[in-house]
Amino acid sequence: MKKNLITIIIAAGLVVIFALLLFTFQVRQSEVAVLTTFGKPAVNNIEDPNLYFKWPWPIQQVYRFDKRVQNFEDKYSENLTADNTMLLTSVYVGWRISDAKEFFPKFAGGSVEAAQRQLETILRSAKAAVIGKHNLADFVNADPHQLKFEAIESEIENAVQNQLATQNYGISIEFLGIKKLGLPESVTQTVFDRMKSERQVLISKWQYEGEAKATEIKSTAERQAADVIANAQADATRIEGQGVAEAAKTLSVFQQNPELAIFQLQLGALKNSLNQKSTLILDERTPPFSLFQNLPANSK
Amino acid sequence: MSDIEHHDHSQPPETQDAGSQALAEALRSSFVIVKIALVALVVMIFAAGFFTVGPQEKAVILRFGKPQGGDQNMLLGAGLHWSLPYPIDEVIRIPITEIQKVSSTVGWYATTPEMELAGTEPPAGPSLNPQIDGYVVTADRNIIHTSATVSYHIDDPGTAIFHFAGGTNRIFNLAGVSNAVQNAANEALILTAARFNVDDILTANVHGFEEAVGQRVNELVERENLGVAIEQCQVKSIAPRQLKDVFEMVTTARQNRDKLINDALSKQNQILSEAGAQAASIVNLAESARTRYVTAITSDAAAFTELLPKYESNPNLFAQLELAKAMTQILTNVQDKIFLPQRADGQPRELRLQLNREPPQPKSAANP
Repeated sequence: MKKNLITIIIAAGLVVIFALLLFTFQVRQSEVAVLTTFGKPAVNNIEDPNLYFKWPWPIQQVYRFDKRVQNFEDKYSENLTADNTMLLTSVYVGWRISDAKEFFPKFAGGSVEAAQRQLETILRSAKAAVIGKHNLADFVNADPHQLKFEAIESEIENAVQNQLATQNYGISIEFLGIKKLGLPESVTQTVFDRMKSERQVLISKWQYEGEAKATEIKSTAERQAADVIANAQADATRIEGQGVAEAAKTLSVFQQNPELAIFQLQLGALKNSLNQKSTLILDERTPPFSLFQNLPANSK
Repeated sequence: MSDIEHHDHSQPPETQDAGSQALAEALRSSFVIVKIALVALVVMIFAAGFFTVGPQEKAVILRFGKPQGGDQNMLLGAGLHWSLPYPIDEVIRIPITEIQKVSSTVGWYATTPEMELAGTEPPAGPSLNPQIDGYVVTADRNIIHTSATVSYHIDDPGTAIFHFAGGTNRIFNLAGVSNAVQNAANEALILTAARFNVDDILTANVHGFEEAVGQRVNELVERENLGVAIEQCQVKSIAPRQLKDVFEMVTTARQNRDKLINDALSKQNQILSEAGAQAASIVNLAESARTRYVTAITSDAAAFTELLPKYESNPNLFAQLELAKAMTQILTNVQDKIFLPQRADGQPRELRLQLNREPPQPKSAANP
């Protein structure tokens, strides 16, 4: 009896495992699954990761798809802008399978490569249409209001998105951006020539500007210096004037006897003028040499 | 006979018993072996659940396809871990380092790793081949080379790992998200260059350009919901090799301009401070002249007040005395004194003067 029990348990276990393998399937986090019954896809995609029930093959069959965002970049290709500039662009696209039951009948074996080939075709025409509507100034511009880079990107994205929706490919675009932007090889050479002449203009501009600024700074400084000195001289005159005014206060003292004042002044001037290194020519009328002429007599 | 018969009779069942006994024995022992094997199997199954995670990787356990541990804690770090056996649990390993790094691919001319190692450059042709040489077009339609290196870390592993395909189906890695970050860096470079002028990118606003690129990368990473956080975005830009010389000449011209201006500024300082000093000395001289003048007048006034009574008592005598006193001083100081008495006949005397100015003395340190 005991042996049988073990056998039964083991057998039951095997049956359960076998049944689980036959009747269940798992969907991973990154996957979406489509369950077909006799080849006809179910209405809903199975999006959530979990363990699911199914009837064994050939009744029901599971198709799994990667629903993660796939990166796709198109070829670096030439398009003409509205102002007839040949522009090279390459675009990167983050796309994913948004509706697996629509996706897998349209592309052989639900192949990502096949889908990307289709995407490239759609992208090519969308790019040509959008770039053809814009001028080069919309792609490169120092004025942020005139730069339409992001608008161009979203125009391409919308065009692709619309096309995908109309055809119902089961694909959606998560993001799209311009990855590379360039000019044809022959144009790069003319750009270099232009850049070179622009550089030369800059060189002479810097030279001229340096000299002009330097001269300006120096002449301004000299003018300011002259102003400072002129102000100082004005101050000096004012200060001297103050001195004279102060001195005038003592005038009343001298007014007591102008004769003495003048005599003193003259005497001082005489002393100052006949200082060293002067030659004095005198005769007997000049005191004290007047002594030679007549000695003072005794007054009676 | 009967004995024998009995014996014969009894013999076969005995052997049968022994046989079945041996069989049962064998079965029992094989059951034991099976049991042991089963236990061993179970143990093995559970033991097989142990797995190690290395330092340069993380692991995620998928239970029935669903990552365990929630969005933030699903990553298992280095060490020993255990999971239920497949197909219940499935361990996926993701090569991941703390900081990921990607570089842009679109803005630089074609080099080979050997050249980069050697620090040499491929020879510059007259033009750039769009298929192999990368560059960006600036707002003023110049062509330059620029490259961005973005460092980032995984902020939301659930999104970064399970939302972006890294090429092959059913394989999990971060190639998809790193690809997306790289393309964000590419787009950011192209777009930012398209709104900056060449001189801003290369010299005047290098930092502003770098910042704008970083900002754009951040914006894209957020908008595209990549589940990563940007740590740093480094940008380097150079003029095309074809125009290296002429760009350097501009730099030199600009440096010369700056030098001229700086020289002028220091000259300005010199002129102004000299003028300031001169002005101060003019004012000081005036001040001291005033002081001297006022002091002299004041002392004259004092002397006057003192002398006045003496003068008033006998003006003539006072004047004579003062004059005589002054003459004494004058005659002491005067260099040459010529006394010329009057002619006896009272006629005026003729006197010829040969005025010879003293030769100007050369100014020197010894004789200022």
